[in-house]
Amino acid sequence: MTTLDLLALMPLIILTAGCVLCLLAGAVRPGFYLYWAAMAVVGVALLWSVLVHVEAVMSGLAVTRFSRACSGFLYAAGLVALLLAFDYNRRRGIKGEEYPATLLFALVGMGATCAASNLLMLFLGLEAFTFAFYIMVAVERDSGRGGEAGLKYLLNGTLSAAVMGMGMALVYAACGTLRLAELALAATQPDLLMLAGLGLILAGLAFKLSLVPAHLWTPDVYQGAPAPVTALLSTASKGAAAVALLLIFPLLQAWRGGHDLLWALALFSMLSGNLAALAQTSIKRMLAWSSIGQMGYVALAFVAYPAGGDRAALFYAATYALAGLAAFGAVAVLSDVSDRDDMDAYRGLGYRSPLAGATLALAMFSLAGIPPTAGFMAKFAVFSAALRAGEVSLALVGIASALVAVFFYLRVVVVLYMKASTGQPEVRPQNIPEMLALIVPGIAIILLGVYPQPLLDLLKDILP
Amino acid sequence: MSGLPILSILIFLPLAGCLLLLPVWGRPALSRPVALGIAGIELILTLWLYASWQSLAALPARLPGFLLMEDAPWIPAFGIRYTLGLDGISLLMVMLTAFLFCVALVVSWNAITDRAGLFLALMLIMESGIMGVFLSLDLALFYLFWEVMLIPMFFLIGVWGHGRKIYSTIKFFLFTMFGSLLMLLAIVALHLIHARQSGVATFGLNELLGTQIAPGTQLWLFGAFLLAFAIKFPLFPLHTWLPDAHTDAPTAGSVILAGLLLKTGSYGLIRFGYPLFPQAAQTLTPLLYSLAVIGIIYASLVAFAQEDMKRLIAYSSIGHMGFVAIGIAAWQPVALSGAVIQMANHGVTTGALFCLVGMLDERAHTREIRAFGGLWGKIPRYSFFFLIFSLATLGLPGLNNFVGEFLVLAGTMRKAPLVAALAFVGIVLTLIYTVRLVQEVLFQKERQPLPLADLDLRELVLLSVLALLALWMGIHPAPLLELIHLPVQLLTGGAP
Repeated sequence: MTTLDLLALMPLIILTAGCVLCLLAGAVRPGFYLYWAAMAVVGVALLWSVLVHVEAVMSGLAVTRFSRACSGFLYAAGLVALLLAFDYNRRRGIKGEEYPATLLFALVGMGATCAASNLLMLFLGLEAFTFAFYIMVAVERDSGRGGEAGLKYLLNGTLSAAVMGMGMALVYAACGTLRLAELALAATQPDLLMLAGLGLILAGLAFKLSLVPAHLWTPDVYQGAPAPVTALLSTASKGAAAVALLLIFPLLQAWRGGHDLLWALALFSMLSGNLAALAQTSIKRMLAWSSIGQMGYVALAFVAYPAGGDRAALFYAATYALAGLAAFGAVAVLSDVSDRDDMDAYRGLGYRSPLAGATLALAMFSLAGIPPTAGFMAKFAVFSAALRAGEVSLALVGIASALVAVFFYLRVVVVLYMKASTGQPEVRPQNIPEMLALIVPGIAIILLGVYPQPLLDLLKDILP
Repeated sequence: MSGLPILSILIFLPLAGCLLLLPVWGRPALSRPVALGIAGIELILTLWLYASWQSLAALPARLPGFLLMEDAPWIPAFGIRYTLGLDGISLLMVMLTAFLFCVALVVSWNAITDRAGLFLALMLIMESGIMGVFLSLDLALFYLFWEVMLIPMFFLIGVWGHGRKIYSTIKFFLFTMFGSLLMLLAIVALHLIHARQSGVATFGLNELLGTQIAPGTQLWLFGAFLLAFAIKFPLFPLHTWLPDAHTDAPTAGSVILAGLLLKTGSYGLIRFGYPLFPQAAQTLTPLLYSLAVIGIIYASLVAFAQEDMKRLIAYSSIGHMGFVAIGIAAWQPVALSGAVIQMANHGVTTGALFCLVGMLDERAHTREIRAFGGLWGKIPRYSFFFLIFSLATLGLPGLNNFVGEFLVLAGTMRKAPLVAALAFVGIVLTLIYTVRLVQEVLFQKERQPLPLADLDLRELVLLSVLALLALWMGIHPAPLLELIHLPVQLLTGGAP
């Protein structure tokens, strides 16, 4: 390993060391100072990935402009989640060093996923952050829902890990290599074994992206997990899974069945996610179902991969992540000792808690794809790609389900601003970390909605 | 002043004005004048543009008929440019916008006391959005503004409305979104077809006008555009959101909805729908005719049965916009001029009527026709204006609506006499329900002893300005017709 390799891997090394040190320090002197330490660690890793222009190819890992940009984005999401968790966990009595340490570990996994250049490393990265989420989902030990959610996520997750592992094994058996670059060459003439393997890998990733029919865990887990964890789970973990799909996509390209499979996943996710969200009264479950629908649009972009869908998919995932962070962030900030989960509990909050209310409303408009928010530009990119690829019927279904989605997103805005509040206790004033965690994604949503060109340029630059 | 990007200033001044509102957010006494001041500057700007339009027209233009243009790259990755253009038609619409926002702010001066800062900010944001719709020459940019103007109206109805305001505002939003989303797909499809033909990725209207589209595809694309615009218009049977939204909106919201948002639909059809898909438009003209005629007659009949004054005026809007639709469908210079003039006329007249009903509602807290009666003796000044605008709305010669309706009918008579005849029936029906309204409210015996005060100075000034405008547009429409002459000729393909 050369110095250059070391420099390139430094963000991962920093995060790993931070994770271990956090655990050790927690054993000596537990306390909430560890959150600040973790934030500093993530901040350094983020700055390093963004600012230090070192690229290196090692066995298993390839630190490229692509991986640096993607992991930088995911680290930023982690930072926001830490800002949210800092006060939330204190209010809810989630003490101890395991939270920041596990979160750092999740970020290590995401960073490794972005940089993976062979299937094994991809698997390790994906399972590393999923493993971290098993813990974080159930971190609130006294909460019955949290435990249930953790178990559900664990059972489903291990199943999907097994499926994906099996798929990778089959691919290896068919081709005799795990390197993605070599596999992409072999995939031009895939045999049955290879196709079975690819199908299983796709199924495993569908679980991570919670695409229908591998979505069943999503509502329960999103509702049961602490809101800051859901914020990260619904955004960064989805983003990392989308990156993983992008990495293995060259393997699928020659296979018509891969296209058809994704087509079906996109169709059912857009339809059932958005339709089921209509019926929810819990805001977290609503957001969970809506995220299934949103991932359907990412899948739609992947269906249109040959027509610039890769850029659309990443752009969509990024804007969705911003809106998800803002939405779950607002839920986290507005949740006190008890979760503010029932939609009715948000009556009139837009006036009593202006910042959190406005951020939540903005996130809803962005998720609904209404300009001038980032969500509109993302939908624009996805639909342009879909039409360019000739997927007219799927685009029409997407538009129809987007209209359905407008209704339930608006309902949140209606509750926030147009229903009189019913004598609830005063809303807690927000502190600076929380305000930061709301303002930063909020501003990014508007900036990307008004001027998305820089991000589009960046994506064009980093995508092969 | 020629170096200044006037069009961008027109669009973004109100938005920037929201920042000025921040320091006086919680103090309506200060924030109202600030907002009105910004709307006033907009009005002065548009009037200045109007005063100098002939000298602007004498300058060499990049596109024929356009007085001012601005163009800059915006999102090259998508091929979207920031292209603005002002011709006679958009200048008329922009003047109407600036004027009606002043009207709306003045009429709601005392009515909105709750969260006045938010109200004023939303009004200014909406002014930006509507200005953008009337000035965009890039389809993607147009779509962006088209959607942006929805959000403030959604809040306006939902927060400050009456009755079933939440139902109404969601209905309004979903109806509009339904059409818009399909139009978005059509815009993207048009962009892709053009890109395949010419290799240039663009959303610019002027470039897209040259696209060759197969007739079948053209029908689909025009259908999507027509749906979006017909919902805004609103054409029968897509009108059902309108009575609800108008009735439950606060007065300022109704003025803007009727006066401007409906015009964005007709403007879109004139600027984008017909020119982009001429053959498809030709094919669907009978459909547009019949929907417009059904709308005129149906809405007039329904208006006759209304008990709520605001609902009655809302239905009358559907009828009046039917004339605009006929004028556009005829796609003939005289009829199209009539349609454009009628858009402005309807904005002034219906805006004034909504103001009048709002004033009555503020005093009596009811809008039931049966609650009133004998107002002529009790509040003569109010009744005078009520009568003037009622006469204007039924098309009395000498007042503004007559000009638009006459031109529309005269132009349509040449192309489709039957349609013109049926539309004339609509005028008679308008006469019936308007006379009933005037008779019941102004001249019957007093039914309930309501404590009504006559107009105060603010209301008097507001209504006088509106009435003088209606009179001027009715007696001397020539300057306005001259303003829109060249663009109308260019659009309909005649010699200028």
